[in-house]
Order: sequence, then structure tokens, then C-alpha cells
Amino acid sequence: MKKKSIPAYFGKAILYICLIIWAILCLFPIYWLFTFSLKNNTEIFGGNIVGLPQVYRWSNYSNALLNGKVGIYLLNSIIVTAMTILFTVLASTMATFAMQRMRWKLSKVAMSILLVGMMIPIHAALLPVFVVMRNLKLINTIWSLIIPYTGFAIPMGIMIISGILDGIPRELDESACIDGCSIYRLFFSIILPLLRPAIATCAIFTFLQSWNELMMAVTFISKDEAKTLTVGIQSMAGQYLTEWGPIGAALMVATIPTLLLYFMLSSQVQKSLVAGAVKG
Amino acid sequence: MNKVLSNKKAIVFFMLPAVLFFLLVILMPVLMSFYYSTLNWDGMGSGTFIGFQNYKKLFVGNVDNFPLSVRNSFLFLLASVFIQIPISLLLAIILSNGVKGENFFRNVYFVPVVLSTVVIGQLWMKIYHPDYGLLNTFLRSIGLSSWAHGWLGDQNTALIATFIPTLWQYTGYHMLLLYAAIKSINPEIFEAAKIDGANRTKIAFRVTIPMILPMLEVSLIFSVIGSLKVFDLVYVLTNGGPAQASEVPSTLMVRTIFMGYQYGYGSAMAVFIIAECVLFTFVVRKIFRALQRD
Amino acid sequence: MNKVLKNVIAGALSASMLFSMAGCSNSGSDTTSGAQSGDQQVTLKLWHIWAADSESSKVPFLKTLDNFQKEHPNIKLDVDATENETFKTKIRTAVAANEAPDIFTYWAGGYMKNFVTAGKLLALDDYLNDGTKDKLLDGTLDNMTFDGKVYGLPHTMDVGTFFVNQELFDKYNIKVPTTYDELVDACKKFRAAGVKTPMAVGGKEAWCIDMYLDILQVRSAGYEACINALSGKGSYEDAGIIDGAKRLQELVKLGAFGDSPMSISRDESEVPFYNGEVPMYFNGSWTIGNVNKSKVKDKIKIVPFPKVGDKSDSTDLTGGVAGTFVVSANTQYKDQAVTCLKYIAQGFAKEAFEAGVSLPAWKLDIDESKVDTLTKQLMDLTNSAKTYTLWWNTYLDGSKSELYMNKSSELFALKITPEQYAKDLQTMNS
Repeated sequence: MKKKSIPAYFGKAILYICLIIWAILCLFPIYWLFTFSLKNNTEIFGGNIVGLPQVYRWSNYSNALLNGKVGIYLLNSIIVTAMTILFTVLASTMATFAMQRMRWKLSKVAMSILLVGMMIPIHAALLPVFVVMRNLKLINTIWSLIIPYTGFAIPMGIMIISGILDGIPRELDESACIDGCSIYRLFFSIILPLLRPAIATCAIFTFLQSWNELMMAVTFISKDEAKTLTVGIQSMAGQYLTEWGPIGAALMVATIPTLLLYFMLSSQVQKSLVAGAVKG
Repeated sequence: MNKVLSNKKAIVFFMLPAVLFFLLVILMPVLMSFYYSTLNWDGMGSGTFIGFQNYKKLFVGNVDNFPLSVRNSFLFLLASVFIQIPISLLLAIILSNGVKGENFFRNVYFVPVVLSTVVIGQLWMKIYHPDYGLLNTFLRSIGLSSWAHGWLGDQNTALIATFIPTLWQYTGYHMLLLYAAIKSINPEIFEAAKIDGANRTKIAFRVTIPMILPMLEVSLIFSVIGSLKVFDLVYVLTNGGPAQASEVPSTLMVRTIFMGYQYGYGSAMAVFIIAECVLFTFVVRKIFRALQRD
Repeated sequence: MNKVLKNVIAGALSASMLFSMAGCSNSGSDTTSGAQSGDQQVTLKLWHIWAADSESSKVPFLKTLDNFQKEHPNIKLDVDATENETFKTKIRTAVAANEAPDIFTYWAGGYMKNFVTAGKLLALDDYLNDGTKDKLLDGTLDNMTFDGKVYGLPHTMDVGTFFVNQELFDKYNIKVPTTYDELVDACKKFRAAGVKTPMAVGGKEAWCIDMYLDILQVRSAGYEACINALSGKGSYEDAGIIDGAKRLQELVKLGAFGDSPMSISRDESEVPFYNGEVPMYFNGSWTIGNVNKSKVKDKIKIVPFPKVGDKSDSTDLTGGVAGTFVVSANTQYKDQAVTCLKYIAQGFAKEAFEAGVSLPAWKLDIDESKVDTLTKQLMDLTNSAKTYTLWWNTYLDGSKSELYMNKSSELFALKITPEQYAKDLQTMNS
């Protein structure tokens, strides 16, 4: 251990200052959204855009939350997102494993074809997907959202998982095979646990995609029992006048679970990374 | 060994779920969009087959400024690849290098990604507002009132003004991907490099970046596709305005299909966007193949 | 396993029905109208756009639906509300896939034409001769009549309305303008006095710009020239239309709309007006509902938009009947759907009018005591009105409407000259 020189300390200080400034830039929106959710239009549009509210209008929250069906919407959002994550993670890990680790002729081609899912502009897919869902008699059920969300999230999942699976040494597969492990056991009991950070990352990204999706959620669902939170928030915007305060409150309510889930998953990533960096 | 890894039944088993979803949700829209794009069709009633006329209309004798929107999305792409990704990579390397408060910073930097487009859009409108916006207020307070103007309403600044929020929002997104990849590297490799007396910069370029090339490739592909398809924030902030200064292919496509009733022509735009994405993804992969061979 | 796969592939392939969707038009007349007895219990789907609580039309509309349910226990309404902009996407997708609700709100003119041509809407002529037609104000069916058939029923009228804040005019000692020159003068004086935005406009949204452009064009070209250009009989390169476009640019250049009107949305532009910081605002009559909720309620007056030349005066208005209720051609219960349609169109007109939200398209027994001051002022205007020029972006359909909104934005952004603007619009008529 040698003593740090003065310039080194100086460099460190500058580094931390930069990190902290960026952190403030990233945290500011949360503070802003919180104050925004307690204001009225006059304050929001120019009267007082970043200060603390002059009057704390907690009524915005009661307006947003008592607005009939927020509970149902929230529950639907949670179910839809949870199912989407489950299916996406399962399908992506299995497919990535098959395409990257197993030996078959079309594995590379399959990878390229599956990626096309990420490239479709969602609005162009609205009508075709609507018709497919209608023919499966799923319109107005949460399945009409879970299935397309999963379909559109799988390519992303495959990409993320392949980026990390690449780093897991192939010798593992070989030694497992030599030990007489079946391919299914190899995947489920050896590879899958090692993919934990990848799975958590994939879950976070899938969550974001489906939790905030609006266009399909609006178009495929016309029954309150199956609507999601984004649609509920959207319906608070008016044709000729919009009260933004309650919308801010609703957005706050929609954002909190996202943050909580992210912090949970992210510490999971951290733990699994510390616990078992793969011995190569 | 080979026998186990080329077990046909197992391959089918592992591929099946993804393939099923693909058939149901992805294949149809692609085929349909391609079919629609060969029609003169308003989205209702009957369409007439016109071959590749719609594609021609995108560039030859174009009236809706589609080429301009493509150019704008290319600028987006360049900004993402050369500004956003390097920043994300730098942050990922710094954070994984064991600064104090690593977890805190990593969590905080991801916060903008978690917020929905509506929130980010509203926030930036408050920043850009010509009268009471934070940006103009700041400029006036340091005596640069002459610089203050309507950022989103000025044809010269609208495009850049929509870039910045998007770049800022997704920096944390790419950072997290790269961070996870760096953290998956076996620490012994870093130890070995340190013992050889390599300094931090050297380790970053000689060890870290080569080791995370696969994830860097993923990140770049996301970024490329994201830029070519960019829609949400542009829609909220300017909807392509003023006078199409910040138009991107997706905003134009949505208006063409749902407001302009030109479903066939709009589908040609969709197919064009898909083709662009395929092409660029292919290029990125080729580049990385070459890099990994070195 | 393989069996499942086969089933799913079959499911996906059933989507190949899609391929035939664009190929043949569905006339929609092949649906059997179920047993049409009046006492059977049916459920009708109804979609509308008044979802938000801030929407002044929401309460009157829900009240109408409630009244209908009470009077028709056999017709159960399954109601869904979607925000205006997303509704446009949602309804088009549903209608295209032949999954339209039985009854829905839509817009007349160019918007409807596309559905009508595709045979997606039910023609109502056979149902309107029971006295329904006589209850409508003259001409209110014009924008929903195609090839001599009526496809929708109007509910309210929306008129381009010029609001002035009398208090601000008095404060700066400026005359409320009655001619274009006075308008220019007033804007200059306000700007000189430090009022940043003499006239509010949410320039980020093209239709807000069109509000001003439409009325200026009507004022300088006259009703005839405008309608002729729109219907393709005349030309957009009419001297009067070009003159109207010129005047819009003149107002932009002198800062009548503030320094950077194109960077703000309508919501952002209206807040200062409701706070009493903006002296003038030209927008739809629905604004009355919001003014009445604001603190400037007693300071706002409605006056005719200033005269430009002698081709048009205060009897020429923009707007008219734009909103309508329609019945899907695929509905299984035509009779019940039309019964409901007639009820809610009239009922909503009445409720909305009494709530001070908008003017009715129906002949109503008006209880003067229930009407607020601003609505009364508006009625003075409409009672003497001779012509209504429907908003240009509503009159025109689909891609033409898009073109108009693009060009009006470019004009407003000073990107093109008035002559170029007129020339570009004229491509629609060639």
C-alpha cells in the first residue's frame, strides 16, 4: 500500500462531485413529481413549477384514488406484469440456452429471426394483433395484453440473457455431461442459478415495458374489470381541459411500485453477483 | 457430450415457448404489414393492390417529408451511439470499480428509466417552457436573456430539445446492462491484471471492455433499434413539430395510419422501419464479430 | 405437445382472415337483426370520449345515460370512456376489425366519410320520420349526410368563439377590436404595455392554430370562397384565402400570440388566460364551461371576431355541428340501438346546454333562467348567424386534413409564404 498523492485525492474529489451531480439530475424528477402531485394547474403551469406547493392538496390523491376503480386497475397491472415477466423469463432463458449452447443447424438463424420482434413499430402491429386476439376470443381479457407483451419482450430478454450467458464458461456444460447429467438437469440446476443476475435484469426491463404500455392496453380492453393503471391515468386527461394535479398523484401511485420492485430486484442482482462470480 | 447437446427433443422443448409467442404475436404483424404496404387502403373497406407504389412514394415525389424524418432518426442514432453509450459505459466502469456508495448511485441512475413517458414529458415541458421554464429562467438569471427562447417551438432547436431528454432518460438503462455484465466477470481476472501492474485505464481498455463485448453489442443493438423506432417522448414533447422539424418515422407513421387514413402507405413506413432495424442490427453484429476475432 | 402446437398454429393462421379483410369490403348488411321484440333484454355497447372529471361534458352525459337506463330497463348499456386522442386510434382499430361497439361518439364531416364509404355505419333515414327530424335545428344533419343518407345524429354545436377579457382592456385603456386593424393595434398596445401574450394559442397542437386561421380565411375570403375551395369546386389560391393566411402571419410576426407560441400545448396556453393574464382568446365554444369554473368568469365577454373586409361579418361563424353519435352497421339490435341513439343525442343536447357546456343542435324548450351569461352572449351570435364554415380540419377527410394541419403549422411557423401555402393546399383539388 503506497500513500496516495495529492493529485489523486483531487481527482477522486472531482469524480465524486460529477457522480453526485448526475445523481441529483436523476433524483430531481421524483421530487418534482411529488410536489407536482400536490399542486393545482395554476401552480403547475407557471405559478410555481419547482418549489414546494403553496397549499398541500392531498385531495389530489383522494381524487385520483377514489376515482372509482383504481384498485382494480392496479391489481390488473400487477397481474399482467407479473405474468408477462414470468413467461418472458422462462421463454427467453430456455430459448437462449438452446440457441447458444446446444448444437443444431439453424440456431444462429433462429436467433436472428426472433430478434425481429424488437423492431416492429407498435402502432403498426395494433390491428393485426387485435385480430389475432379476437380470433382467439381473448379481447377484453388480460390475456390479450399478457400474450403480446410477452411476445414483444422475449427478443429483448433473449438479448440480455445471451449477453451474460456468453460469459459463463462452456466447460461447465462439458463437466456436467461427463458427470452424466441430463440436458434438462444441466439447464435447470446448473445454468439457471448462474443466470440469476441476467434474469433479474431481464425482469426489470420487461417490467418497465409492460407496466407503462398504453396503446394496446387502450385498444384491446373496453371493460373496467380488465383495464390497467396506464389506461386509468390516461382517462384522466380531458378533451378540453385537464386537471394535472390528480394525474400527478396517480402517476406517483403508479411509480412507487416500480421503484420498490426495481430496488428489490437490483439488490438481488447485487447479492447473486457477490455470491458467485463464475469460476472460469 | 455432442449427443446430449444436440438432443432434438430437448431443442424443441427449449425453443417451443418462445416460438409459440413469436408465431402468435410477431410473425402476423410483420406479414400483415408487408401485405398492407402493397395496397392503396384506408384501413377500412376495400383496398386495391398497387405493388411497390407506396415504397416509391416514401422517397420519390414525396410530400410528407418522410426522408427528413428518416434523417432525424439517424441523427438520433448517432447521438445515442457516440454520446449516450460512452457515458453509460463510463458510469458502469466507475461504479463497478468500487466507489463508495456504489449501490446508491447505481439505483439512483436508473430512476429516470423507471418513470413513465408522461412524467418525463411533463417535466421537460416545464424545463423548456418559453416564459417560466427552468432553462430560460436560468439563462436570464445569468444575464443571457438573449439566449432564452421557446426551445420546443423553434425549428432550429426542437430536434435537439427532444434528443436530450431521451438520451438522459436511457443513460441509466444502458449503464445497468453493462454494469451487470462487468459484475459477471470473474474477479480473479482483475486481480491478475493488477498484479501485472496495469493501471485503471489500462484495465478498462485491456480487460473490462473486451470481456463485456457481448453485452456492449446487446446495448448497441437496443440503442440502434430504439433510435430508429423512437416515438414516445417525441410524441409527448412535440409530436414531430413545429412544422415537422422534429418529425421521426414513427410519429409520421402513426399520423399517416390513424389520422391520415392511409393504412397502406403507413404500413410501408412500418416495413421500412423494420428493414432499417434489421440492416443496422446486422451491421452491428458484423462489427462485433470482427472485434471479437482480434 | 405436437397437438398443442398444431392448435396454436391453426389459431395464428386463422388470422389469415386478415388478409381478406383489406381485400373485400364488409357491407355489414349481412347481420341478422335479432328478434326485434321490444321487451327482450339486450345489452348494447356504447363508447364515448368524456372520461376525465375535468371534462365539462362528462356530468351531463352520464346524467343522460342514467335517465335512459331508468326509462329503458330492457336495454342495458355497457359503457366505456376513452380519452379523446387515444379514442381515435382505438375506435379505428375496432371498426376495422369489425368489433365496433353498437353506439359510439364520432366526428362529422371528413372523419365520418371514411367509415360511411366502407359501410361501417348504419343509415338512419328509415328511423327518422317519426318526428325526430322536425326536432332538429335546420342544417344540423348536413355534415353527417352522405349520398343523401343520414348516418349520425348531432348532439351539440361548437362554434369558434372570440373571448375578450374586458378588465384587461379597461386596465390598459384599449378598445375591444371590431375590425382587423383595431385588432392589430390592440395587440401592439398590449405588447407595448408589457402584456406578453395578447392572444392565447397552444401552437403545439395544429388544430388550435387552425381555429385562428379558419376564421381569418372566412373573414377575408367569405363563406362561399371557402366552401368552394374545400369542396373542390373552387380553388385555395383564392385571393381572399391567401389574404387570410397573410394576416395570420402578420399577427405572428408582431408577437400577437406571444414570443414562442409553437412550443406550448393547449393546456399550457389556457392557464394564463384563466388566470386573467391574456386579453384575447379564440377557440371553441366549449371553452365557456372552463371559463365559468375559473376566476375570470365575470371579466370575460364574447364578441364577434373582428371584420377583415366586406366579404364577411359577424353573421359568418366557424364550426357548427361536429360531434355526433352513430350506430355500427354490425349491431345485432338495430331498433334498440337507434332508440338509444335518439334518446342520448337529444338528452345530451339538453343536459349539456343547461350545464352551460355547449349549444344544442336540437329545438329545445329553453328555460332562460338556467342559462349562464356567456352562453347567452354566444346565443346572441348564433341566433343571427347566416353561415357556418365547419372547421377545415374536420371538413376535410383523412390525409387532406393532415395536409391542412401540416401546412397551417408551417404557415404559422413562417416556414412558407401564404402563396406557397395556398398552392400546396390546392394539390388536394387537382
